Amino acid sequence: MLFALAAGCRTAPTGTQKALRTVTDDLGRHVSVPVRIDRIVSLAPSVTENVFAVGAGDRLVGVTTFCNYPEQAQAIAKVGDTMNPNMETIVALKPDVVLVSTASQIEAFTKTLEANGIALFVTDPVGLPGVYKSLGDLGDIFGTTEQANRAIAQLKARESSLPVRCTTGDGLSDDSRALPPIRVFVQISREPLFTIGKQSFLNGVLNEACGRSVTDAVETAFPKLSKETAAALNPEVIILSDSEDNREPNDSFRSSPAVKNGRVYRINADIISRPGPRLVDALEQIAKDLHPESFKDK
Amino acid sequence: MRLGLVLLVLLIVVLIIAGMLGAERLPLTGWTEQQRSILLDIRIPRILLGACVGASLAVAGAGLQALLRNPLAEPYLLGVSNGAALGTMVGFVLFQNVEAARPVLAFAGAVAATIVVYRMAKSRAGMSAERLVLSGVIVTTFLSSVIVMLTTLLDAARLRSFTFWLLGDLSQSSSTGIWISGVTVAIVTVVLTSQARSLNLMMIGERDALDFGVEVGRVRLLVFGGASLVVGAAVAASGSVGYVGLIVPHLVRLSIGSDNRLVVPFSAVAGAIFVVLADTIARTAIAPRELPVGAVTALVGAPLFIYLLRRN
Repeated sequence: MLFALAAGCRTAPTGTQKALRTVTDDLGRHVSVPVRIDRIVSLAPSVTENVFAVGAGDRLVGVTTFCNYPEQAQAIAKVGDTMNPNMETIVALKPDVVLVSTASQIEAFTKTLEANGIALFVTDPVGLPGVYKSLGDLGDIFGTTEQANRAIAQLKARESSLPVRCTTGDGLSDDSRALPPIRVFVQISREPLFTIGKQSFLNGVLNEACGRSVTDAVETAFPKLSKETAAALNPEVIILSDSEDNREPNDSFRSSPAVKNGRVYRINADIISRPGPRLVDALEQIAKDLHPESFKDK
Repeated sequence: MRLGLVLLVLLIVVLIIAGMLGAERLPLTGWTEQQRSILLDIRIPRILLGACVGASLAVAGAGLQALLRNPLAEPYLLGVSNGAALGTMVGFVLFQNVEAARPVLAFAGAVAATIVVYRMAKSRAGMSAERLVLSGVIVTTFLSSVIVMLTTLLDAARLRSFTFWLLGDLSQSSSTGIWISGVTVAIVTVVLTSQARSLNLMMIGERDALDFGVEVGRVRLLVFGGASLVVGAAVAASGSVGYVGLIVPHLVRLSIGSDNRLVVPFSAVAGAIFVVLADTIARTAIAPRELPVGAVTALVGAPLFIYLLRRN
């Protein structure tokens, strides 16, 4: 990591000059951030969870309306949602850095933020390995490396103590606990029928839990799926991303083995949709749902 | 008359072709239990709903164009579709588990939008084509903003299904939706066809029609009411499928002239053909994924309409 003292290079709006250093974000951008970061704005629920996990949650001064976890996040000022953040609110909060998860709003953002002397850092973790990397990066820029490493070690320990496991996050196989993969359909929305496709990070989680998404060859991350195809997929297990309008499997699964054998499971939508520390919770729950026999003596 | 027969045969051929195409390839005979279910529970209901929705929007377009003597009168451009869409959304939000609430509120929304547009367009000097289209645009954009506001207020998971539905989506076909839309469009097509002679006279001019003994007020009520009914039922079942009400009656008039006794019923059949074809593309083009049918009708419809405008 490059450390660059750049006092005098730029003026913060408050008039105080902070020592800066250069870090690299997930898009490969070189970002100048203050060496000491006191005020953080997070523009994604997963990022908020990650910031808390590395022990910098008390420095968050602004989060999105969807940032509901951990509980302390709910008391933090809201700056809109990920897709429609309120720029004025953000600038008024005088953050040292704004953390975003997607590249979609970068261009418009960087300009305004840079004009106000605010750094923009992109952290876009993919799957569990991505979460570990993100926690490491955040620990580094906030100076909480020790806590970040502790969090990573705890999550990794839980990951590696699963009684059933097919691949580790690094893609290595672990034969002693591997079981034949169960064919899973992950239902994101019942009507219209949305599922996970090739580009979803959940494939890695499913594979690690000795499962396999029956739609892992379908393009995009969250495709709208033909019900005809759905009816012919015959999944052994259906996992519902639990939300108000997604409590039951789509009617096209009526004759699937999953429905016939009562193997339909609900997992909190926040837990399986956010690449944050709770992705390990999702992994544990999925492994248990797919292979309950392996968890019996636990 | 011969064209009518051709259209009916064409509709049957299109229905059969649509039945043979889909994300899953099905054999012609000897289906397994699962293949049977795919055909009977998923594919055929969707095709039938597409036919009902297409007929509804086209017949509404044909009726409104004749009544308002304006080739641009169309449920979508006049705000009728958006009125129905807003009504359906209110139904979704307030009466989530009552499916029948949606078409009723959609109808109410369509009627309200129609009344507002009509009142705005009408002045003491009569109703000019420009004024009507302008009123339609104002109401349409206003209702769009309300819809966007509502989707922003609803939470993220439901937002996705609404944005898809707003573009027109036939994947959520239910037997209730098919029955409501089918019966409505059958009755309204018959009623509007029965008024076609009066509409023909009114196209010359309302005063002339009055001289011929046409009850102008009653005809107006029947056409506005009928159009709102079919659009309400169609939108409640499939969202806002655009351009059908504009293009189909135009194509029909181009081929048989502007006698409404033929234009109205032929538009219904041609509309069914158009939407079933468009939905076949939506179902198969990127299978196993799907496109919203409204995107396909707009993609085909807009260039076709520009071509028609330039040719005339």
